[in-house]
Amino acid sequence: MSIRRLFAVARKEFRHIARDVRTFFLVTVAPAFLLITLSYVFALDVERVDIAVRDLDRTPLSRALLTHLTADGDLAIVADVQRGEEIELLFIRDIADLALVIPHGFADAILGGGPAEAQCIVDGADAIVASQTVGLLESRIEAFVAGLRAPRPGTPATGFDVNSRAWYNEALKALVSMVPGLMAVILCMPALALALALTREKETGSFENLITTPMHGSEYLFGKLLAYEISGLVSVILCWFVATLWFRVPFRGNLLAFLLLAADYVLAGMGISLVVANFVRNQQTAMFLILTVFFVPSFFIAGLILPVAHEPLARAMAYGLPTTHFITICRGMFLKGLGPAALWQPASCLLGMGAACQAVSLLLFKKRIT
Amino acid sequence: MDRGNVAVLTRIWNLVLKEFIQFYRDWLMTAFILTLPVLQLVLLARATGARISDMRVAVLDLDRSSASRQLVTALDTRRELDVWYYPATLADTHRLLDQGEAILAVIIPAGLEADSPGVTRTPGVQIVADASNHLPALIALRAARETIAAFAADRAAAYGLVGSPPIDLRTTVRFNPTLNAKFFTIPAQVGFIVYQVTLVVASIGLARERELGTLEQLMVLPLRRVELVIGKAIPALVIGALNFLLMLAVAVFAFRVPMRGSLLLLFALTLVFIVAEIGYGIFISSIARTQQQAILFVFVLAMVDMSFSGYLVRVKNLPGVLQAIAQVVPFHHYLTIVRGVMLKGAGLDVLWPHAAAMLLMGLAVASVAVHNLSRNLD
Repeated sequence: MSIRRLFAVARKEFRHIARDVRTFFLVTVAPAFLLITLSYVFALDVERVDIAVRDLDRTPLSRALLTHLTADGDLAIVADVQRGEEIELLFIRDIADLALVIPHGFADAILGGGPAEAQCIVDGADAIVASQTVGLLESRIEAFVAGLRAPRPGTPATGFDVNSRAWYNEALKALVSMVPGLMAVILCMPALALALALTREKETGSFENLITTPMHGSEYLFGKLLAYEISGLVSVILCWFVATLWFRVPFRGNLLAFLLLAADYVLAGMGISLVVANFVRNQQTAMFLILTVFFVPSFFIAGLILPVAHEPLARAMAYGLPTTHFITICRGMFLKGLGPAALWQPASCLLGMGAACQAVSLLLFKKRIT
Repeated sequence: MDRGNVAVLTRIWNLVLKEFIQFYRDWLMTAFILTLPVLQLVLLARATGARISDMRVAVLDLDRSSASRQLVTALDTRRELDVWYYPATLADTHRLLDQGEAILAVIIPAGLEADSPGVTRTPGVQIVADASNHLPALIALRAARETIAAFAADRAAAYGLVGSPPIDLRTTVRFNPTLNAKFFTIPAQVGFIVYQVTLVVASIGLARERELGTLEQLMVLPLRRVELVIGKAIPALVIGALNFLLMLAVAVFAFRVPMRGSLLLLFALTLVFIVAEIGYGIFISSIARTQQQAILFVFVLAMVDMSFSGYLVRVKNLPGVLQAIAQVVPFHHYLTIVRGVMLKGAGLDVLWPHAAAMLLMGLAVASVAVHNLSRNLD
């Protein structure tokens, strides 16, 4: 392998990237741009719940309950329902998330000391939102009840003290946990760009010209890889600046170690591209494969939002993706301040994947036309 | 039909035929386009859990009494939690959180048992969550707090301090009584995969001709720009529709997602959605110089669209400006439609504004694209 020839390929590839503003933007700046856009959407902590109310009791107490529920604006009453059938329609039209029915005799039951019954009907189409919504309503009702009871002195406390804390993200802010996670998903982009660059040569026929040169397969592959690895690292650095300066997400780890591990991740992603590009002959197919095996699963099952599921198949799929490991690394370095020693597991998984994919692609690579 | 119309149709038909011959020649790609989406749906649906459950908890029990064991059992029984680790020291507990092995640590102080309710002398039960991913942390914290509160209430009741809650909230869940999260995620994944396939096929069509130099040949043919665009759109429409039907069958028959509304309506509105996405695809095609650019543009657009779609974040929770942006994302309207028809049995009377919005946007974007097309052929 000649380093000179390898650099020649890399230089040619850099020219491809730099000569058209659009390609240059897509390959270097686009990930940072995406990180800004997506973070704004994903990082919202406001939970707005629209409720429909059917108050059959119509007493001062039932009205007090409703005022208490809507006091801080998270819960909003969007409809005052007269008949039960209306609730269904409000759900179908996506107007209300939840309906609260306060029956006759509600206030009497509470003032009498016995348990009063209330009914809650929830739109279960989105199960996760539905259970959060019910949880919010329950805690509001509990707080209301506690407010009714509290001012009686001499009543013994019935609970334990519970002291709960959220580590690494003390205010439990979505932004803080989403930005490092999204960064990992977005940085799939350099791998996609490489897969396209490799297949383009075959599709447009310029690969034939390259075959006639004295260049080796490894020089060709690593030259391309080098160019996109470098542009990928530019993206990583831009994303890091967006995360720390723009979104002010704390970075508690070591920057140099982070860059090394990021390079490791970009390399592992590109390993997938090298293997994929070996089998396909045009860019459309390459894109389909990269999207299917790498990007879309990264979004859904790599632990970005929901934790990795426990079923063996789900675990195998998730840990087969480089993204899952890099999400762990990003969150570990940004939020937990972990060093490379604590992250050796995901780091060596990435390294292994990258090395294995590159070995496979070198073995499969043939410098000829079929 | 007069002669001119027949000629137009023949020209479009010939172009469509050419596209299909290309699909036939590149059979490997065609096979990928038709089978990968279905495979992807199956794998994703299998890998997404039905609910967030059994998050791993580490318990540091410093009391080692029957009361503390009861509390541990109560935590373990809770659906969301699974007591998995019993670290011996505080340092071990912290390490488990650092490594992400456990999402929650519960530290039970010594003296819990001896503490009769009402006379709290202990420092209290401590819960620490790994909030580096906030949503699971929130859910785990709530589950643990509720379990401990219920446990405390039971103990208080056993000591004769009655603490029954004065309001009993009876909850009914409509459309999805078991709160199976898959009924929400699978239709969304079907929508996203249709979106992805259509956009890629449509956006690459022209970019590929341009990169290979064959667009110039198409341009010198007696073929109007609109005809060229329609000829490129039809194969994308066929592929998108075929994919949709395959995946719908998988969703309904293999994953038992309910189909409460009209199948015909859903299919018709899916075609509208596909047409809208083809509009966007051709627009990308008209501004990209190479296929690589087209594909990377699709990638950027797909991520933006996905985040505004209401799949991962509810549009209702977005601030005003972002809500307005979501209105011009066809994928957002389509997800409302898929869910409405499949889970809620909604009809056209409810869904027509979404359908109209998608159609308008698609046509508007496509006409800009047609206009762009001739100027960009340098």
